[in-house]
Amino acid sequence: MSSLWNTCLSILEDEISSSDFSTWIRPLQAEEENNQIKLLAPNRFVLDWVKEHHFSKIEQTVQQFSKGDYSISLAIGSKKNNTEVIPLAVKRNTPTKNKRPNFINLAFTFENFVEGKSNQLAKAASIQVSENVGKTYNPLLIYGGSGLGKTHLMHAIGTAILKKKPSANIIYLHSEKFVQDMVKALQQNSINSFKEYYRTVDTLLIDDIQFFAGKERSQEEFFHTFNNLLEKKHQVILTCDKYPKEIEGLEDRLKSRFGWGLPVAIEPPDLETRAAILMKKAMQANVELSQEVAFFIGKRIPSNVRDLEGALRRVIANSQFTGKPITIDFTKEALHDLISLQDKLVNIENIQKTVSEYFKIRNSDLVSKNRKQSIVRPRQIAMCLARELTSHSLPEIGDAFGGREHTTVINACKRIKDLRDSDIKVQEDYANLLRTLSL
Amino acid sequence: MAIQHPLQFDYGNHYNFSTFYAGNNQELIQQLQKNASGKGEQQIFFWGSQGLGKSHLLQACCFEAHLKQRSNFYLLLESEALPDPDILLGLEKTQLVCIDNIDNITGNQEWEYALFRFYNLHQELQNHLIISSSSPANALNISLPDLKTRLGWGLNMKINSLNDEQRIAALTMKAQTMGLELTPRTANYLLTRCVRDLPLLWEFLNKIDHATLAAQRKPTIPLIKEILQQNQSL
Repeated sequence: MSSLWNTCLSILEDEISSSDFSTWIRPLQAEEENNQIKLLAPNRFVLDWVKEHHFSKIEQTVQQFSKGDYSISLAIGSKKNNTEVIPLAVKRNTPTKNKRPNFINLAFTFENFVEGKSNQLAKAASIQVSENVGKTYNPLLIYGGSGLGKTHLMHAIGTAILKKKPSANIIYLHSEKFVQDMVKALQQNSINSFKEYYRTVDTLLIDDIQFFAGKERSQEEFFHTFNNLLEKKHQVILTCDKYPKEIEGLEDRLKSRFGWGLPVAIEPPDLETRAAILMKKAMQANVELSQEVAFFIGKRIPSNVRDLEGALRRVIANSQFTGKPITIDFTKEALHDLISLQDKLVNIENIQKTVSEYFKIRNSDLVSKNRKQSIVRPRQIAMCLARELTSHSLPEIGDAFGGREHTTVINACKRIKDLRDSDIKVQEDYANLLRTLSL
Repeated sequence: MAIQHPLQFDYGNHYNFSTFYAGNNQELIQQLQKNASGKGEQQIFFWGSQGLGKSHLLQACCFEAHLKQRSNFYLLLESEALPDPDILLGLEKTQLVCIDNIDNITGNQEWEYALFRFYNLHQELQNHLIISSSSPANALNISLPDLKTRLGWGLNMKINSLNDEQRIAALTMKAQTMGLELTPRTANYLLTRCVRDLPLLWEFLNKIDHATLAAQRKPTIPLIKEILQQNQSL
């Protein structure tokens, strides 16, 4: 870095407020050539701000310390340096000459995807697609709440395809990137290159298609890309946070096309799967995690897989810092803040409120003696959720539901478990409630 | 004797790790230092109440990255002066981005989407991110679930408050960096007779500094009493 600019920085640091200095001045990258310092701003916004608010002071300081020998200018850009990181996917997939980056993260595989009841269908369909590209389910649509492993499965498909055929012409991208690229192409009059780019792939993987909602021009373009690829029997894989028919602001023709192939749901993982995920993640980090601790974390952090990973990171970091082994007591202490927060967010009262609103019954019905089927089923579901999501004892749960015996809670949980296996409606209701309470 | 008018030095603007009193936050600081240097956790989200030094630490991280010649950007999100979300465009290429007070964009749809877009691109390029907030990620009122779960993904840590003994140590350290010599008795007096809130204490320390320079006196208890009388609000 320019030593003159470094001198100027140390002067400016004393003359500009610390937060302004850290936001507007320090991030500028200096390039020095032929008695000229070119300051590079990361974007137009920063450039304009610096020009308007700080440039005269910068100019004055440079003039003062260069004794008038240097001139200074501002531009948008960044210096290329040795420490610049190459995107993970690109780094791992050494591209052959003229081959475009595919942005597949090879760290995500089917082998390190933990399978449970909540995601086994989605995994099986993904494996099928990776083995029969463009032939079995096209498009494959994986839908479900945020942080449940949709992106993992998507990358795993890409990884498997590339493993079998390293030269496969495949692209992964987020729907927002598709929109961004299209806007850029329209601005630069290069829409034909944009079309060609996306319509010539063998496999197109687009994440989070719900972000197409309300963006008509992008939907139009995606519609044609989609049709074009399907006509050529090229594979399309999509993810969405809900069943596409439920997305507001998405054209009907797209909603209908998304359902052409196989839409598969991915649900929040059950306790056993959560524990298995934690143990697998710990193993990947070369950390030993007992089943007991994995179940403890899984029970206390019932939300999504990202939160589970966040909690595990916290435990591992704390253990490495203190040098202590990961025991239940240690984990309780390390996650103390997260657990107490989770307890505040999910409690029996909250579960009763959510369940009664969902089934459109009164809260008081759940604690009443009413034995009508329309009340009993929601009550049993609420009890089962209280058992899964809170750490209350069975007598405490029974007590909170109108002073019932703990054996009533056991029976309720058993009944709901059986119904979730046999009745699709109960399965859906339970999954929806679990998702609502876990967010 | 003529009163000497001190120059208006703002000592607060040298935010680095050496000017931060760690107290019982050593683990957090170690993680932040690693992240700022391009190692350790790729994403850290830390939370705690106001006045514990979150902004200091984030700016210290940017300084650390600067020393390591890594591109860096400190983004302060103030509720009353929220910048345009366009400020995030292109920032995904920045090796360390520190976002201060993310609470102030919760519920702001435009900002939440912009942050989500930035997050995905920044993550894809394997760059480092540090975010501060007054509450844990999963307690934030973020309306975009995809953004909320991503914030909880990295290392979430709490910044702990200091006990009185640690506050005295922090006060003495801060005074030292300003060239002021505070005896433990004077520091204790300040803490018991003045405010216990650290940012207000730093503000008061600046007043003491100005007063000692102007009066050419040492920061003694009688001088502090005089300043306290002039600043009834403290």
